[in-house]
Amino acid sequence: MRLQAITCDMLLRPVEHLAARSPHEVVLCELSASLHVETASLRERIQAEIDRIEGADPEADAIVLVYGLCGGATAGLVARTRPFVLPRAHDCATIFLGSRERYQREHEAVPGTYWFTEDQVKRGNALKGWLLGDAERSEGVEATYRAYVEKYGQENADYLMEALGEWQSHYERGAYLETGLAPDDAAARRAQQESELRGWRFERLASDLSLFERLLWGEWDDDFLVVRPGERLAMSFDADVVRAVPAS
Amino acid sequence: MADLKRLQVAVEVGDRETAVSVTEEALHEGIPPLVILDSMTDAMGVVGDRFARQEIYVPEMLISARAMKAALALLEPLLIGSGHRPDKIAVMGTIKGDLHDIGKNLVAMMLKGANFEIVDLGTNTPADEFMAAAREHRADLIGISALLTTTMGNMRSVVEAVRAATDLPHLRVIVGGAPVTRDFAVRIEADGWAPDAASAVDVAKAVVETARGRTAHSGFIDPDVVAALRAAAVAAV
Repeated sequence: MRLQAITCDMLLRPVEHLAARSPHEVVLCELSASLHVETASLRERIQAEIDRIEGADPEADAIVLVYGLCGGATAGLVARTRPFVLPRAHDCATIFLGSRERYQREHEAVPGTYWFTEDQVKRGNALKGWLLGDAERSEGVEATYRAYVEKYGQENADYLMEALGEWQSHYERGAYLETGLAPDDAAARRAQQESELRGWRFERLASDLSLFERLLWGEWDDDFLVVRPGERLAMSFDADVVRAVPAS
Repeated sequence: MADLKRLQVAVEVGDRETAVSVTEEALHEGIPPLVILDSMTDAMGVVGDRFARQEIYVPEMLISARAMKAALALLEPLLIGSGHRPDKIAVMGTIKGDLHDIGKNLVAMMLKGANFEIVDLGTNTPADEFMAAAREHRADLIGISALLTTTMGNMRSVVEAVRAATDLPHLRVIVGGAPVTRDFAVRIEADGWAPDAASAVDVAKAVVETARGRTAHSGFIDPDVVAALRAAAVAAV
């Protein structure tokens, strides 16, 4: 098969590793994780890529989305002329953990978990939003703060940074998803620093790459959903996570 | 001389200091607290409309709500002292498994400005806690928020508990949050849904008014239903 894969750049390391070893031809397109800031933008961007691929490669056997539901961003995506397939996952933590069941157990055990991946740490996207109250604010956060000061005054800006960043005080764990593919420990150590800055305990969890593998190797069983031409992806609001419905 | 228009503008632009100082002036001059409260509520209505038209976004709503909250804090002891109590009580919380509360906090602040008493249960709230608080405070409404698709399903158990509570026939439940779609709210048989904090206030008011038999509507309430009810009310005049 020729598979056209659209992947979030927070998943690049395992995607490139397994695409290279796939028995099928896999063409990769990567999209920035920063698109997650606005779910409508992420949906539009992925749909634009799906539409582009359908036009440019009408013989592609399938489009592979290395995404989960991602807060509902992928719900609404339409397959017009080529099928697309994605894992039944709320977000990419499930894909790294290897199963919905393992993700559910982790989430129930520690709901206040911030997930780190090698690519996410290296691209600095994950925490661009709300690093607070210390000398190590990321550039993105500093820029946001300065924009707020200019627009609303310092007092309001300080309040906004506190209010919008407060979720961090509700979290208790930073979990680094170890794939065994990183060339060194730098990303894991950075994830640990970011966790400790926030008073979160830090854990390294071993990934299970079988969902990545099956997705990119065309082994689409019940852990995946194939959305066929004329269908649209929708939330299923149950353990299946996603379902396909008629597009019109 | 206190100028309530200045108070309104201060709330609209999130100028907390001016909102508080004009409120102090107004109270000092003997302007009734309820009149001052009305100005603030009107201002939050303007803020809500601007948000609905996407002229402003969450940061502006937050600073406006905060300015109003600070001014309201000056009025509350006087309102309570004169026997005025909010006529609607809402229990608010983020659903079990979910630790995010910005949206819920914003809705709570705006509901306070709309004459609701708020019982805020915080985050990660299971159904039995919602119900216990609803009983203890004789609430009209439970408002649940979720930011994660992972946790949305837990809202079902709150709706089921509300329906099973035959001792609380007037209790209603509304849901919202970034991934919470209207479709989901209908599917779990919530009484109402809103896509954002601004419209949540109108939906909350309409749901409670309907539970009290004061509207001609029965069934699910969303912003479209609120608009239709308003249009019908205008036409009837």
